[in-house]
Amino acid sequence: MRDLDVLVVGAGPAGSVAAWEAKHASPELDVLLIERDRAVGAPVRCAEGVGDAGLREFADPGGAPWVARKITQVIFIAPDDTEVRVAQRDVGWILDRTRFDAYLAALAVAEGVDLQVGVEATGMQRGPGGRWHVRLRGAGAEETVGARVVIGADGVEAMVGRWAGLDTRVPARDMESCAQYVVQGIDVDPDAIYIQWGDRVAPGGYAWVFPKGVGVANVGLGLVALKSDGRNARQYLNEWIARRYPRAARTGYTVGGVIVHTTIRKTYADGVLLAGDAAHMINPLSGGGIVNAMKAGRLAGCTAAAAIRERDTSERRLASYHSTWMKLLGDDHLKYYRIKQALEALSDDFFNGLARTVNKIPQEKRTLGRIFAHALVKHPQLIPVAARFFL
Amino acid sequence: MPRTRATAVAVVDLTNCDRCGLCLPLCPPEAIHLDLSDLVVEAETCTGCRKCIAPCPVGALAMVPAA
Repeated sequence: MRDLDVLVVGAGPAGSVAAWEAKHASPELDVLLIERDRAVGAPVRCAEGVGDAGLREFADPGGAPWVARKITQVIFIAPDDTEVRVAQRDVGWILDRTRFDAYLAALAVAEGVDLQVGVEATGMQRGPGGRWHVRLRGAGAEETVGARVVIGADGVEAMVGRWAGLDTRVPARDMESCAQYVVQGIDVDPDAIYIQWGDRVAPGGYAWVFPKGVGVANVGLGLVALKSDGRNARQYLNEWIARRYPRAARTGYTVGGVIVHTTIRKTYADGVLLAGDAAHMINPLSGGGIVNAMKAGRLAGCTAAAAIRERDTSERRLASYHSTWMKLLGDDHLKYYRIKQALEALSDDFFNGLARTVNKIPQEKRTLGRIFAHALVKHPQLIPVAARFFL
Repeated sequence: MPRTRATAVAVVDLTNCDRCGLCLPLCPPEAIHLDLSDLVVEAETCTGCRKCIAPCPVGALAMVPAA
């Protein structure tokens, strides 16, 4: 049986960064990174948008082949189709996730990580000496490997967490059901992302247009099924595209779940750390998770390497991962979650009225802060939420 | 495995299922998993709670009378 120091399950942004970080911190460690799909980064289950500052902590997007588009403008669309252009600034990037994920995985390999694609973990048990015995299956072969630390970066499925006895279940009200097309021949500003919400568009979520080039965009939506009229996400999206972009060609299609909850209560167990979507480390307001996943992966890789160096991979030793994450971003997500709940109570009429009000502000001064201030004036019940957010 | 007392259980239509994994964390008894990338609902574990049905983005899950 192969005896590993660190097994990372899932080669998305969380897993690749975690593997790189563990190997970088302790080059003598035997680190294996496995990916169930036959290619890292495919299929893409993502709208591919990422903020500028967060991305730059990990990679330079300037001229990178894994960037599809630079975004300088956000356009909110109220439920009644009133468009609000927010003041222009450096907003972020639309990635090519197939290339980006492969880039991160290749960095890990260059550091000395062993990457195997088309290999899935099918179960794990505690073995002697505090190691995990993990069953792997791929290319018609099965084997069991030993690992001092298993990092579960296995996305919404979160099977590693389940096997380790951690509760990774999601209440239905906190699961966004998403569908997305890659669309060609769409007439939108290629430097802007468009966000529309409304009960008819995407109840409990929003619809988006994220351009990948001139005339090409990811067009999708996420909704909370409990609030839907019985139609599924794909049916809502078909109606939205038919209404707004009737001549667009739908050349690709994907679906997936985005967990808009907060970090799970416990992200660690004896010899186990969970990172990224697997631990619900997603901004519950935006649904964004790429930078969150990379930051968690960096922490997980560091923690695993340090724990192995100290010959203590017990739950007690690994608990620092959770507290550090909560201070870094997890506590912010709790605040965002409260804002999300407050916004959910507001009606389409409120947002339609707000859009018309803020459009009277000159565009260059129409910042998110000013839009929020106008919302507070019209809806004082938001003020306690705002106070909690800023305090 | 204890036999379920549910009168109806969830089943997946694999021709429609995109294997996105969204339904896995929604299942209270953890009856859904992916096996070699194919979705499996364990009929003997499913309690018939229906929590996985509506959230499926493509409507690939449905209830059928329990065997």
